[in-house]
Amino acid sequence: MLENILTILIFFPLIAGILGFAIDKNSFRAYGIAVSLVEFVLSLLLWFYYDPNIAGMQFVETLPLIPTFGINYFVGVDGISMFIIILAAFFTLIGIASLPKTPNEKNMIITLLFLQMTMVGVFAALDAIVFYIFWEFSLVPMIYIIGAWGGPLRIYASIKFFLYTFAGSLIMLVGMLFMAYFYYQTTGVWSFSIEDWYNLVLPKSYQIWLFLAFFIGFAIKVPMFPFHTWLPYAHGQAPTIGSVILAAILLKMGTYAFVRFSLPLFPDASVFFMVPIATISIIMIVYTAMVAYAQEDIKQVVAYSSISHMGVIILGTFALNVEGISGSIFLMIGHGVVSGALFLLVGVIYERRHTKLMSEFGGLAHVMPRYAAIFGIFLMASVGLPLTINFIGEFLSLLGFYKQSHILTLVAGTAIIVGAIYMLSAFKKAFFGNVTKEENKNLPDVNKTELVALIPLVAITIWLGVYPKPVLDPINKSVTRLVKFMHEKSRTPDGKIRIQDPLKVKTKKVCSDCASCKEGE
Amino acid sequence: MEIGLSHYLILSTILFGIGLYGVMSRKNLLMLFFATEILLNSVNIGFAAISHYLGDLTGQMFAFFVIAIAASEVAVGLGLLVVWFKRHNRIDLDEMMSMRG
Amino acid sequence: MEKYLYIALFAPLVSSLFSSLFTAKPKKQFVGVIASLLIATSFVSSVILGFYILGGGEAIHVELMTWINTGGLYIPFGFVVDEISVTMMFVVTLVSMLVHIYSNGYMDHDPSFNRFFAWLSAFVFSMMVLVMSDNFAGLFIGWEGVGLCSWGLIGFWYYKESATWAANEAFIMNRIADLGMLIGLFLLYWNTGSLQYDVVFSKVALLDHSTLIWIGIFLFIGAMGKSAQFPLHTWLADAMEGPTPVSALIHAATMVTAGVYLVIRSNPLYDLVPEVGIFIASLGTFVAFFAASMALVNRDMKRIIAYSTLSQLGYMFAAAGLGAYWVALFHLMAHAFFKALLFLGAGNVMHAMHDELDPFKMGALKEKMKWTWIMMTVASFALAGVFPLAGFFSKDTILEAAFVDHHYVIYGVLLFTAALTAFYSFRLVALIFHGNDRYSQFGIHPHEAYNYMLWAMAPLFFFAIIAGIMQTPFFEMVEEALNAREYHIHSEAVKWIMLIGTQVLVIASIFYAYRKYNRNDITVPDGTSKTENRLCYKVLFNQYYIPYFYEEYLVKPYRELSGLFWKKFDLRVVDATVDGIAKILYNTGEETRGMQSGNLSVMLRWMVVGLVILLIFAGAVGLAVRYSDKILSFLSALGV
Repeated sequence: MLENILTILIFFPLIAGILGFAIDKNSFRAYGIAVSLVEFVLSLLLWFYYDPNIAGMQFVETLPLIPTFGINYFVGVDGISMFIIILAAFFTLIGIASLPKTPNEKNMIITLLFLQMTMVGVFAALDAIVFYIFWEFSLVPMIYIIGAWGGPLRIYASIKFFLYTFAGSLIMLVGMLFMAYFYYQTTGVWSFSIEDWYNLVLPKSYQIWLFLAFFIGFAIKVPMFPFHTWLPYAHGQAPTIGSVILAAILLKMGTYAFVRFSLPLFPDASVFFMVPIATISIIMIVYTAMVAYAQEDIKQVVAYSSISHMGVIILGTFALNVEGISGSIFLMIGHGVVSGALFLLVGVIYERRHTKLMSEFGGLAHVMPRYAAIFGIFLMASVGLPLTINFIGEFLSLLGFYKQSHILTLVAGTAIIVGAIYMLSAFKKAFFGNVTKEENKNLPDVNKTELVALIPLVAITIWLGVYPKPVLDPINKSVTRLVKFMHEKSRTPDGKIRIQDPLKVKTKKVCSDCASCKEGE
Repeated sequence: MEIGLSHYLILSTILFGIGLYGVMSRKNLLMLFFATEILLNSVNIGFAAISHYLGDLTGQMFAFFVIAIAASEVAVGLGLLVVWFKRHNRIDLDEMMSMRG
Repeated sequence: MEKYLYIALFAPLVSSLFSSLFTAKPKKQFVGVIASLLIATSFVSSVILGFYILGGGEAIHVELMTWINTGGLYIPFGFVVDEISVTMMFVVTLVSMLVHIYSNGYMDHDPSFNRFFAWLSAFVFSMMVLVMSDNFAGLFIGWEGVGLCSWGLIGFWYYKESATWAANEAFIMNRIADLGMLIGLFLLYWNTGSLQYDVVFSKVALLDHSTLIWIGIFLFIGAMGKSAQFPLHTWLADAMEGPTPVSALIHAATMVTAGVYLVIRSNPLYDLVPEVGIFIASLGTFVAFFAASMALVNRDMKRIIAYSTLSQLGYMFAAAGLGAYWVALFHLMAHAFFKALLFLGAGNVMHAMHDELDPFKMGALKEKMKWTWIMMTVASFALAGVFPLAGFFSKDTILEAAFVDHHYVIYGVLLFTAALTAFYSFRLVALIFHGNDRYSQFGIHPHEAYNYMLWAMAPLFFFAIIAGIMQTPFFEMVEEALNAREYHIHSEAVKWIMLIGTQVLVIASIFYAYRKYNRNDITVPDGTSKTENRLCYKVLFNQYYIPYFYEEYLVKPYRELSGLFWKKFDLRVVDATVDGIAKILYNTGEETRGMQSGNLSVMLRWMVVGLVILLIFAGAVGLAVRYSDKILSFLSALGV
C-alpha cells in the first residue's frame, strides 16, 4: 500500500465522492468528514514514512499513458510538495467539519472531495501533462463552488476566475509542449517527465521565452500584480469554504509551480528576471497592502492581504538561495494556515450578521471575547510576529533575498509595517470601541463546531512557529538539492554568481569579496 | 478568330459571375437551385477546357463527377423543396429562419 | 544554576498561560495572587543568579532546542546569563514583581482583571527572552513579544478610542524601527554567518569598516523605535493611555530600555565604529533636552513623567554612544527604580483623583496622601540627581564621562537638561501635593491607596535611595564584560567644582519650581494667561507640532493614497483593463452574431465575402512568393 500511497491519496476522494452520490442526504456530512479524515490520516502516513534524509522524490509511481509521446502517469513527492499535500487534506477536513448550514450540502461536499483530488494531484504530479490536467481540473469544482453558493455577483466572479486563469494556463501549455518538443529534438525521445526535463540544458534565449510562457500561467494563479484583480471578486463572492480553500491551497499552486518548474528548468532566465520579478513582488507587497487598508469589507482586507503575502513568497523564491526558497515554501504553508483561518473567522461573523462590512461591527471584543482572542492570534500571525508560523517564512524569505539585493529587500521589508497597518486598523474597526449597533449586542460567541476548526489551526500556528524543525528539515534538504542543481545547470557567469552552490557557500566570507554586498555600501 | 482557351475561361468566369449574382440576389429557393447549377456548370466548362488544353483527361473526369453530384443534389434538393412547399406553401428564403442563432 | 535560569525564564510564561485561562471569566482574586507569586519566583531565581555572577561565577549558557535551521542559518533557543543579562533580569523581575503586586490593588475594580495579568505576565516573559537570549534572533523574538504585549496593554481598555489608537500607533511605529533591526540582522548574518552573540562579536573585527557602520546604524534604528528616540518618539507619550502600572513597568522601567540594552549588548560592534557612537550620543543628548523641554509645560501628569522617561533614555544613549556602556547600564537600572516608583505614585494619585490627570486640578494632596507624597518626592529628588540618591550617582557619571572624553557640547546640554529635569519634576510635585486645594471644586474626595500597594512600592523607594552604593560592586562585576573604565577628572579642583556646581544648579531649579508652583493662588489654566499665548509655550505644549505633522503629512496622505489606489487605480485601471479586454471580445461576438441570422441568402452573401477574401489572400501570397527576392532586398535596404 505504501508504494501506491500517492495514487490512493489522489483518487480516494474521487472514488469516495462518486460513491457518495448513493449516500443519503441527511447522513452526508458524517460521510464527508469520515472520508476526509481518512484522507488526512493517509497524508499523515505519507509524512510518517517520508525519509527526511533523502532529498529527491519519494513514493514515485509510474504508469504509461501515451508512451509514443512519453506521457506517463508519474507522481512523487519531496520536501517541497509534501507539506502542501498534507495542508490540502487538512483544510478539506476542517472545511467539511466546520461547514455551516448550506443548501445542497451533499453537492457541496462532493465538490470539495473532487477539488481535493485535483489539489493533491497538482502537487504530486511529476509529469507535465498530468500536472496540467490536474491544474485545469481544479478550476471546475472551484467555479462550481463560487457560482452555485456565492454572493450576488457570483456568476461574474466565477466566469472571471475561470477565464482569467484558464487563459494563462493555455499559454503555459504551449510552453510545456515546446519543452517536450525541444527535449525530443535534443534526445530523440519524447518525454513530459519533469525529472527528465531537469537534465536538459537550454540556451538562454530559449529559457527566457519559455520562462515567460510559464510565468503568465503561474503569475495569474498566484496572483501577481497586475493579474490579481480576479482574486478580490472570487473571494468576495465565494462562500467561506471556497475562500478558505482558494487562499490556503489553490493560490499555492502558482508559487509551488515557480519552484517546481521555473527555477530548475530555467536557472539563467530566473537570474535574468530576478530583478523585474522582485520589483513586481514589491509592488504586490506595498500596493496591495495599501489597497487592503482602504477596504471597507473585512473579507476583502484578508483577500488583499493574501496578495501582499504572496509577494513575499515570490520574493523568497527568487532569492535563489536555500534560505530564501526554504522560507518561501515555509511561508506557503504558513500563509495557507493563517489566511485559511482568517477566512474561516470572517465566515463565522458572516454567518451571524450576514454582512462583512466593518462599519457594521465595532466593539465585537465585548460580545465575542473568544472570537476576538482567536482572531487576534491569527492577526498577529498574519502580521508576522515571531513564534508564529508566518514569521519564520517571512524572515527567511527576506533574509534570503537580502543576499541578492539590499535596496529591494529594504523596500520589500516594509511588508512588516504596511501589514501591521491594515491588519491592526481592521481589527480596531471591527473589534474595539463600544458596541454601537443594536444587532451586535447579543451575538453568540464561537460555538463548538467552529472551535473544532479553529483550535487545531491555532495549535499549528504556534507549534510550527516555535518548533518548525519537523517541517523545515525536509524542505531544507530538498531545497538544497534544488539549488545545488540550479548552480550546476546555470551557464551564464551571472547565474553562477547569483546562484551559489549551497554546499560550498561558506558564510564566513568577509564582505569585501562578494560583489552583491558592495551595492549597499 | 480561333476559339482558344482564354475564350472558354472567360465564358466560364462570366457564367460564374452570373451564378454568383443569382445566389446572392434570388430569394426563391427554386431560382437559387438554378443559380447553383449555373455555378457548377461554369466550373465544368473550366475543367473541360483546361483538360483539353493540357491533354489530360482528369479534368473531364472531374467534370463528369460534378455533373453526377449536381444531378443527385438537385434530386435531393428538389425533394426537400417539395416537402417544404407542401408544409409552408411558400419557398421564400427569408422565411426559412429556423436556424437563427 | 541552569535550573534557576529556567525558573526565572518560564515562571512568567506559566503565569501568563494560567491567567489567560480565566480571561473570559469575571474577576478572580487568586489569579492576581498566583501571577504575583510566580513572578516573585522568577525574581528570586534572578537574584540567586545575580549573586552567583556577582560572586565571580562563570556565565551560564544553555541551549534549549533548535529553532530555525536552514541553509547556513542556525538559530537555537539559546539563553545566556552573564553580567549584562543578569542586571537586566534583576531589574525586570524586581519591577515586574512589584507592579504585579501593586496591580492587584490598582486593577481591583476592573472587570478585565484576569486578562490584565495574562498580558502583564506575557510581557515579563517576552522581556526575559529579550534580555536572556544568546543570539540576535532570540532578542528579536522578545523584541516583538514586548511590542505585542505593549500593544495589548496600551489598548487594554479597548472600548476607548484613544487607547486603541495609541496602541496601534505604538505597534506600527515600533514596526518601522523593527525593519531597521531586521536589516541589521540580515547584514550580520550574511557577513558573519551567524546570529549568535559570541560568533558575531568574535568576527566583527574582521569586517570592513563601511559594513560595520551600516550594521551599527540599522541596529540602532531598531533601538530608536523601542526606546522612542526622535523621530519615533511620539508613541511613548500616547502610550500613557494604558493603565498606570503598565506605564510604570513597560513604558518606564523595562521595555523602553530594550534599545539601550541592545546597544550595550552590541558593545564590541559599537566600539569599532565610534562615528556611529557619536551619532548615538548626539541624538541621545538631543532627545534628553528635547523631551525635557516638552515636559516643562505639559499638563498631563503621566505625560510629564513619560517625557522625563524619554529624556532619561536620551541620557542612557548619550552614555552608551560615548562608549560608557556600564554607566548607561547603571543609569538604566537606577532609572528603573525611581521612575517606576514615580509612576506607581502617579497611579495612587490617579486612583485618588478618579483618573484626573491634570496636576492643576489637584494641589495640597500631601495631607491626604502622606506616603505617596513622600515616595514621589524622594523619587523626584532621585530623578533630579540630588546627592545621595540613586540618580546622583548614575547621572553624574554620565556627565563626567562626557566631560572626560572632551565632548563639551554634549556635557553642556546634558547639564542644562539636568536643571530642566529638576524643574519639571518639582513643578509636578508642587502642583500635586502642595499649594492650595483645587480638587474639591471638582467634587473629588481623595484617599490614600491600599496599604499593600504602598508596601509594593517600598522596595523601589528603598532602591531609589540606596542604589548609589551599588555603583562600585556593579562596576567590578561588569568591568570585564563591558570593557569598563572609571572616569576620573585629573584636576581635583575641577572635579569638586563640577560636582558642587551641578548640585547647586539642580537645587536652584528645584527651589525655583517650588517658588513658582507652591502657591495658594494657582488656578486651572484656561488658555487666556499671557504665558499660555506665548509662541514658545505653544510650540512646547503642542510637542513641537510633531504629532500634528505626522497626522497631516504622513497618516492622512497614506490613507488618501490607499483609497486612491483602490478606487482609482485598482478598480478603474487594472481591473478595467481586464474587463476591457473581455468586453472587446464580447462585443466582437455581439456585433458579428448578425451573420448567424439564419437567413440563407445572408449566409450566402457572407460566403461570397469569405471567398473573395480568401482569393485576395491567395493572390497576395502568390505575388509575395513570386517577388520574394525583390521584397527581401527592399526590406534589407530599409535596414530591417
